[in-house]
Amino acid sequence: MDIFLNIQGLFPFLFILGISPLLVGLINKQKALLTGRIGAPLWQPYFDLLRLTRKETIYAVTASFVSRLAPVVAFAAVLISSLMLPIGYVKPILSFNGDIIVFAYLLGLARFFQILGAMDIGSSFEGMGAAREATFAVFAEPIYFFTLGSLAFISGHTSIYDIYHSIRLDNPTSLVFIIVSSISAFFLMMTECSRMPIDDPNTHLELTMIHEVMILDNSGIDLFLYQYSSFIKIMIYAIYEASFFNPFSMQNPWLGFSVFIVMLLLLTALIAWVETMIARFKMKSIPQYLLFATAIGILNLLIYTFVRQ
Amino acid sequence: MLAPGEILQSLELLQNDRGYFVYAELLISTIMISLSVQNHQPFAIGDIPIVSIAEFEASVRELLMAHSRMIGLFGMDPSASPGTVIAVLANRLSSSIHLVGTTFTPTENHFASFAGEYPQTHYFECELAENHHVIPVGHPWLRPVRKQTTVLGDQPYSLYAMEGEEVHEVAVGPIHAGIIEPGHFRFQCHGEEVYHLEISLGYQHRGIEAMLLAADARQRNILCESIAGDTVIGHTMAYTLAIEALSHATVSLRTQVLRTIAEELERIAMHLAGLGGIGNDIGYAIGASSYGRLRTLVINSSALLCGSRFGRGFITPGGLRFDPADEALERIQDNLRVVQNDIAAINRVMIESTSVISRLDQTGVVTKEWARSIGMVGPAARACGIEIDTRSQFPYGTYRYTHLPLITLSTGDVFARTRMRSFEIDESLQFIFDQLENLAPGPVIGPLADMLPECGVISLVEGWRGEIAHCAFTDAAGAFTRYKIKDPSFHNWYGLALAMRSVAISDFPLINKSFDLSYAGHDL
Repeated sequence: MDIFLNIQGLFPFLFILGISPLLVGLINKQKALLTGRIGAPLWQPYFDLLRLTRKETIYAVTASFVSRLAPVVAFAAVLISSLMLPIGYVKPILSFNGDIIVFAYLLGLARFFQILGAMDIGSSFEGMGAAREATFAVFAEPIYFFTLGSLAFISGHTSIYDIYHSIRLDNPTSLVFIIVSSISAFFLMMTECSRMPIDDPNTHLELTMIHEVMILDNSGIDLFLYQYSSFIKIMIYAIYEASFFNPFSMQNPWLGFSVFIVMLLLLTALIAWVETMIARFKMKSIPQYLLFATAIGILNLLIYTFVRQ
Repeated sequence: MLAPGEILQSLELLQNDRGYFVYAELLISTIMISLSVQNHQPFAIGDIPIVSIAEFEASVRELLMAHSRMIGLFGMDPSASPGTVIAVLANRLSSSIHLVGTTFTPTENHFASFAGEYPQTHYFECELAENHHVIPVGHPWLRPVRKQTTVLGDQPYSLYAMEGEEVHEVAVGPIHAGIIEPGHFRFQCHGEEVYHLEISLGYQHRGIEAMLLAADARQRNILCESIAGDTVIGHTMAYTLAIEALSHATVSLRTQVLRTIAEELERIAMHLAGLGGIGNDIGYAIGASSYGRLRTLVINSSALLCGSRFGRGFITPGGLRFDPADEALERIQDNLRVVQNDIAAINRVMIESTSVISRLDQTGVVTKEWARSIGMVGPAARACGIEIDTRSQFPYGTYRYTHLPLITLSTGDVFARTRMRSFEIDESLQFIFDQLENLAPGPVIGPLADMLPECGVISLVEGWRGEIAHCAFTDAAGAFTRYKIKDPSFHNWYGLALAMRSVAISDFPLINKSFDLSYAGHDL
């Protein structure tokens, strides 16, 4: 039985690995259409990844072992965290009490190594990017813990799978939680995945970048690992968001899966719309924006307190 | 008669009180030693007063005090040794240009710098020191203009550096991530905050001024089109008008109007490119793509008018290379109507977007006082509230008959420079429609006589970036002996450096784009 569950649990993992570049392709395509262009094909992110595997990996002369280690650790950490996410009612491979914390800090570990890798070479640009990434991570962490964490508090579970499954449609307050959590989760997603209005993934201006500037000196397979892990990260956060609508799969697995897919598509459309219509924030106003998202997350706890009375 | 020192003293007293300012100006005009000419008015070189170094210093100082702006400080002989040096200053209040000269020798090669009091002369003095080894004594910041690492011929120069434990230095360029021209930027930062930006240029130096002296008439036309690739019409106009002034040529009204239309088309196209660039730099994709699309329509109109999307090969001394067909002019009008209609829509969307406004507002501020003291020009200066526009203050061509409104904004930030562009586009579109409405018939090319011998002319033109100055001088045979070019970027690069003070370094690309300066125009 366990083995069967584990094989089933492979499905979310393979889904994340296989579909994540397509998700990015979808965002880019819709962005192009919104600005009146034809845009790159949907499969472009796959081609990009394939191209990177064929490229030579070059290291700066000042690079130490950290530069070689960082992309691998970052990629591995993101991979492991993706093993913890459920899709629909399918139980993920890794699921235990307290994995909500492990999940957060695995992604934190990936970031930590990416920051180390960026600072290792000693370029002033990458140091700047690393400083920004570290600063904004401090503000982004509370968003995670106030959205999923507050749900954990409310449901009394500490495993991601259990938390999502504690959301039930027959409970009217759950609906409020779904709405509130998905708003702040969207903010978190945009921050963690270096999308607009926090970071501009398409800019060529190294002075304004956050994520992109940290990988300026990476090439070949290292760049492949960084790019792929950033694609997977978008997928992880998209699932993180879409899973709030999990209760539908309680009633009917196929309905649940359809809702899940529709949610992913809606998310890509929303990201594309935001990236087209909204200008990037000034660097100094980003913390305010993130604190605002945290405040929305706190709403969950407030609502819970009032409803219980 | 008062001694120059006493006069200066009394003038300073008068200047303190604005009410007496007019008297001060009148007083100055009676004692100044200078040749006063109009824009595009030829003059004999012998008429330029060549005075002693002390009198030169006093005269230039008086002119600067009377709110003239320096537009040139250069040796009459292009060689590197000290010789006769001419200062050219423009007074936009009286629409007059003043010239005064002095002679330096290898031993007598010093003059008292004006840059301490009038920072606008700072860069001109650096250029003079670099090109002619004339030393401005007491210059606050003698730095290379085009040679990057040496000053005064051979002394090494190192960029300004800040010291301190938490201070760090960021070097950008000369090779950039985008496909743009080369230039080196050195930021002195504390965290994200920039304390000082030093801009080191000269990587594009091609020796255009020397090439112009060696070239024949046809080559000169092409060279002038290549001074700055984005200001083809502007620089070609300045050159053409200089030649026509020196050879007393008159061109038909039709020629003048068509030239002005080409100039305004270039202005619209480049402002649209700038707006699109600003949209791109703030990650505002809808703005970037909409302005980009409209720019294509405008440069296609330029192609219909000039035969080239960037206006090359259209304007030539004596007139135009060809007369555009009526159908082409019809299609230009159709194109521009689309632009006028669509630009209103995208402007509205952009101005109403809170995220755009919060990004642009209060970013990269240049105050009016700074802008005035460093002699900024063009839309960047008008965005600071300075009323400066060659088209209305030193009118030439069609602008003598048709008045374009002079628009100024007051905040001097990226928002003002952005908004200034969209205002100017609107005015230029209206101007072109008005001009095309009743286009006079007539020949577009006329005969061109030889240039006057031993004469000079100052040719000021308002390019899309600001005031372009070409100073041309001829020898006894009527051939050029000196041709000095000043692109608006020459003033405004310093404005960019000032706008970066106490600003987050991540705002640099945006502020840089809002100025949109030329490397090639500066480097020549």
